[in-house]
Amino acid sequence: MDNFKKKFIEEATDLIDGLEKALLLLEQNTEDAGLIQQVFRVMHTLKGNSSMFGFELIDRYTHNLETVYDLIRSKKLKLSRDVLDVTFASVDHLKQLLDESNYNDADFITLHNSLISRVSKIINAEISSETSDESSKKDTTSDASKEEFTYYIRFEPSSDIFKNGTNPLYLIDEIHTLGKAKVFAHLNRIPLLNEIDPLQCYTYWEIILVTGSDVAALNEVFIFVEGESKIEIQRVSEEDLLVDEFFTTELTRIAKIHKEIGLATTLKIAETAKKRFLQSKAATIKKEKVGLKDASITSIRVSSEKLDSLMNLVSELVTTQARLALYAEQSNIPELANISENVQKLSRQLRDTAFSIVLIPIEHMLTRFQRLVRDLSNDLKKEVIFITDGAETELDKTIIESLSDPLMHIIRNSLDHGIEETQERIKKGKSKQGKITLKAFYSGANVHILISDDGAGIDPDMIREKAITKGIISPDKKLTNKEILDLVFLPGFSTAKKITDVSGRGVGMDVVKRKIADIRGEVEIESELGIGTTIIIKLPLTLSIIDGLLVKVDETHYVLPLSAVDKIYAVDNKDINDKFNNVLVLEGKQVPYFNVRKEFELPSSDQEIEQVVVVNYEDNHVGLIVDYVVGEYQAVLKPLGKHYKKQEMISGATILGDGSIALVLDTNKIIKLFSRIEEYKIKKNS
Amino acid sequence: MNNENLSKINSFLSFKLGEEEFAAHVGKVLNILEMTKITEVPRAPEYMKGVINLRGTVLPVIDTRIKFGMPATEYTTNTCIIVLDVDMDGESIHVGALVDSVQAVLEFDQSHIMPAPSIGSRYRSEFIEGVVNVDDKFIMLLNMDAVFSSDELTKMHDKTKETEDTATIVEIE
Repeated sequence: MDNFKKKFIEEATDLIDGLEKALLLLEQNTEDAGLIQQVFRVMHTLKGNSSMFGFELIDRYTHNLETVYDLIRSKKLKLSRDVLDVTFASVDHLKQLLDESNYNDADFITLHNSLISRVSKIINAEISSETSDESSKKDTTSDASKEEFTYYIRFEPSSDIFKNGTNPLYLIDEIHTLGKAKVFAHLNRIPLLNEIDPLQCYTYWEIILVTGSDVAALNEVFIFVEGESKIEIQRVSEEDLLVDEFFTTELTRIAKIHKEIGLATTLKIAETAKKRFLQSKAATIKKEKVGLKDASITSIRVSSEKLDSLMNLVSELVTTQARLALYAEQSNIPELANISENVQKLSRQLRDTAFSIVLIPIEHMLTRFQRLVRDLSNDLKKEVIFITDGAETELDKTIIESLSDPLMHIIRNSLDHGIEETQERIKKGKSKQGKITLKAFYSGANVHILISDDGAGIDPDMIREKAITKGIISPDKKLTNKEILDLVFLPGFSTAKKITDVSGRGVGMDVVKRKIADIRGEVEIESELGIGTTIIIKLPLTLSIIDGLLVKVDETHYVLPLSAVDKIYAVDNKDINDKFNNVLVLEGKQVPYFNVRKEFELPSSDQEIEQVVVVNYEDNHVGLIVDYVVGEYQAVLKPLGKHYKKQEMISGATILGDGSIALVLDTNKIIKLFSRIEEYKIKKNS
Repeated sequence: MNNENLSKINSFLSFKLGEEEFAAHVGKVLNILEMTKITEVPRAPEYMKGVINLRGTVLPVIDTRIKFGMPATEYTTNTCIIVLDVDMDGESIHVGALVDSVQAVLEFDQSHIMPAPSIGSRYRSEFIEGVVNVDDKFIMLLNMDAVFSSDELTKMHDKTKETEDTATIVEIE
């Protein structure tokens, strides 16, 4: 049973997420009948499922909500802001309801009851407005309680009908009030113009009416013209056939060709239509059940544990393959080398496929942000739209999971501190509505996510001032604008003048930076005063395997991410060791360098020729001097563990073909660290 | 086997650091490895010897002697790595402890464990669970969780100036 419950919760979570997404769209376009229908259907499914699995509270709750949207669907209730607000609150509440442990919480129950009463208030308001309008009330009750039938009516008024002062069109109108009707007016008996007697009626009608009323009620319509007119009323079906397309088009077709349809033909068509109708009805019921699953028919649901173990196996395979390659090389058996090469090709493909499986589009977390922007801009009384671009960009699911909190924080910041109040925006000559854009795109082996707002921007002078008062920098320190902006990533630095509920609690961008660093990502900030701020997040595509360059320094192998490597040069040892300023001239350009041996406090080497690996660092090239370059290597990243938490410049370790360990270096961090050490040494010496 | 059952077992693995003998509860010991090549991690504190490949996973190795304020381990044929399962901030973590030699598995009743002397001890009392007298030798029972969980590592003895410098630089990050 628990298993079923888990399944239900999983499905319900999907449904509720879908509901939220549909609601956000609906808010933009309140008249969209398709969306209303979708919202209604989700609620209906949720209701059905929850009652099946014994989630009574959800069942009853969604029942009420469903009623509201049923009323909206049938245009008896307007989709007001109030209704939407309640629905959004309900969506949040439904998520909580899935967790049964909440049920014992008194606050939770109070909230539950207050929401229920809010929902019922909406329904009651509608019902009371109905009672004031007698006829519509009658309509709804009959709508709801009765079945509908399809009638065939043939109304051929006597040619003298006008002389009694009767307008046959009024009768047709009256028929219309009874239900849905399709009217065929036959004009074939109308003579040529010069022969027309304007006092005579030449027209006769055939009507297909769908109504809950009985034959007697229909006869009543024609009660005054009964005597002189030919009237034929016949029930042709127990169902509402007018919804069936085939039925109506067939009738229209026949009416066109044969001038009149006749009861017999109608019955015949009705018979075929009925069969089709029943089939399609069964189909729609089925469809409604699967409804939302339609989109996922081409995909299957796999537990993330299975994916994780698949990834682990692939990683093991890649490691084993590296061993095989090593032995194949040593053994000098051409056949073995062949096989090993094939295994390498296959394992590479398998690796890529397995990776693409765990990649999910970032769209998955965007709904949450849409919602955040909506709610928060309401609270802050700012008008803000949230635009996303590149939502289909895919990232490792673990990255997406750890990305959602930092992104949430950045968007909150933009809303709270970035976007100005409406009045101020108008004063500045900006559009009334603020704009927050989230843009994602691939850049090499990385994914970049840009969050920009068109708000006030960050004043570097203010940051500087604040950093000085907080003692983070000394007053005489000269910093570029970029360096000043980077200060906001330091712990305890919150730039908001006043602390608001939304952000500015001092746990700010430093947490964002740390969390993103945890997934080997980087954050940058760009801001222009008065124009806006952009936060740039650079992320690796995956966490577990990287293409690297294997190098050796002293006794240890290191892996540099290939994506960071620009070029490799060989240089004379003398050129390095006798240098004073740590700058090499390569291809006519000056390249600053670090000697890895020296920085790692290893004895200097006596090799005559050393290798310089030039890597990209921010916008520059930096050389790293290593003993020698082994070659390209697929590194399966293994964590170094908590004990080496502080060695940030090492992103992990990988096991080489011979079973020894190579350390994977984070080039950005290592260069930052090296520059700090050099700076530190200079300071210490002076 | 759950923790309750484990703590009922009164077996301890004894090992030597220099001339002194220590013991760890067998429930904490996963494995004893012969000395193998340790890959050094640059700019790490001195007692963090490096990492080894333990059947496909990366295991950090700690030089227990440095940690206990003795000179660094000199590798002999008796040098071993004891693989321990320690509890760090509620998380179970595997770590290798470099020791001079592994002695024996001892069994004794809980009642034989005497409290560690609080005065005149060379070691901080929270690392020592108790002392046992075996054949007129005193063996110190170590609280492995306390000794090998990371933050405590630096506090056992004074840091050398050098490691402190490195630590500051790394912390600026």
